[in-house]
Amino acid sequence: MENNDQQLLQSFLNDPSFRNWVTKSNKNDILFWNNWILNHPEDIDTVDMAKSILLGISFKKSALDSKKLDETLATVLDRIEAKKVEKPSISRFETKKRYWQLGIAATVLAFIGILFLLNQNTEIVHKTGYGEIIELKLQDGTLVTLNGNSQISYDKKNSRDISLKGDAYFKVKPIPSTNAKFWVTTEDLRVEVYGTEFHVNTRDEKTNVLLDEGSVHLLLENGDSRKMVPGEFVSFARGQNLITHEKVNTELQYSSWKESTYIFNNIELSEVMKYVEQTYGIPFEFIDKELTLKTISGGIPNHDLKICLSAIEKSTGTRIVLKDKKLLILKEN
Amino acid sequence: MDISSEKALWQFFVGGDLNAFSTLFKHFYPQLHNYGLRISNNQEIAEDCLQDFFIYLYEHRASLHHVRQIRSYLFVSYRRALIKKLQKQNLIQSLDEAKDAFIFSQEEIMLGEELSEQRSKILETTLNGLSPREREVIYLKYYSDLKTPEIKEVMNISYQSVLNTLQKAFSKLRNRLETAAIREVLKK
Repeated sequence: MENNDQQLLQSFLNDPSFRNWVTKSNKNDILFWNNWILNHPEDIDTVDMAKSILLGISFKKSALDSKKLDETLATVLDRIEAKKVEKPSISRFETKKRYWQLGIAATVLAFIGILFLLNQNTEIVHKTGYGEIIELKLQDGTLVTLNGNSQISYDKKNSRDISLKGDAYFKVKPIPSTNAKFWVTTEDLRVEVYGTEFHVNTRDEKTNVLLDEGSVHLLLENGDSRKMVPGEFVSFARGQNLITHEKVNTELQYSSWKESTYIFNNIELSEVMKYVEQTYGIPFEFIDKELTLKTISGGIPNHDLKICLSAIEKSTGTRIVLKDKKLLILKEN
Repeated sequence: MDISSEKALWQFFVGGDLNAFSTLFKHFYPQLHNYGLRISNNQEIAEDCLQDFFIYLYEHRASLHHVRQIRSYLFVSYRRALIKKLQKQNLIQSLDEAKDAFIFSQEEIMLGEELSEQRSKILETTLNGLSPREREVIYLKYYSDLKTPEIKEVMNISYQSVLNTLQKAFSKLRNRLETAAIREVLKK
């Protein structure tokens, strides 16, 4: 295989969105990759190879008889016991002494630990770098997917009251017994939740909230409040008192990077490049200004900068070059 | 058992907890047992060596708190111990010349929607036509469900070698399947 194909194969294998396509587990990814293949007939062999490797070979695994396993374990434990007894008494004494020391050490450690806890600032912070996406499970079982260049923080004692800067997707664990709420606070607003799936983005000096499931209540920075139902989008910027509240088709509009794919619906290239800049921290410049008005509809994988750019190039007929830590957007040759 | 509970158990075990040791034993013994059988083709040696290995782990637990990649650590250490033992008994010089290591049988290949009896026969022949090291990659990846970085560690080869092996296996497989399909058509 040629070098280029090799790189393509590797990027397929490492792309969660591609894996979703292979296992048919995400609608957006299936649509995206089916479409991608149609537009890249020359790469069909590489796609096929990546698919084979990911699907692999299913083996019937021979299980070890559990009775035999227990017997073997008993033998091993016996042998461990026997070895302990075999050892001369001096070493046993030493072991005892060591246990004493360990005991004291443990007590001292525990004491230091308590002091540490009492003095410590109990705020927990999770931060992502550019291009990094992490999944977090909070103490209460809530799942947070944190996009690149974002941060959440909360008090150690209460993981249901979160501050967010950047971009995050929340799958809140409902606690029906106490009806405990969950809060996400940004500089613009506070989201009040019972148990639901939603997306919060604070880039661009405003906060966008997109609700996928359940219901949330927004307390805006200007004192206003809003109730949202699934499929609704609210955008609010403090100071400007400008609120957008509308119904969207959550499957097709706005960025849904949580499956490692941006979904754009007729969005201008300049807007799309802003997403890229925010995710990867690389500024961009349009060399040919008229290209800013080109629009994109469809999915763009965002897990890997190279694939992401190549998808944008292909769908807009442009060329994007990385030069001096800047992305230059040019006309296709 | 997920990675985080493996890690938690490991820390308990390192602290000397026999319960944690027993749970780890029950979890890893069957996987390592099968792996040892594949390497050695000798049940007695594989089992003796594996028991000794677990006793070694228990006795040296205090020095094992730094182990982070538990699965690859266990696979790589057991592999090393077993090969040493086989070499001592002059059974093999190296794993490369152990021609019958990691042989697959048709019976253990799962038949799915797309895999007929005839295809699984082709799969068996193709897999066993690979070199022992290549078969080991396939075994660790799809039988033991090790991740590529773990395979890298265990076999001490590069990511690229793992990938090349997988590519080689699947392109051979595809060629053979295509040839078989053509033969089928010609027969009619």
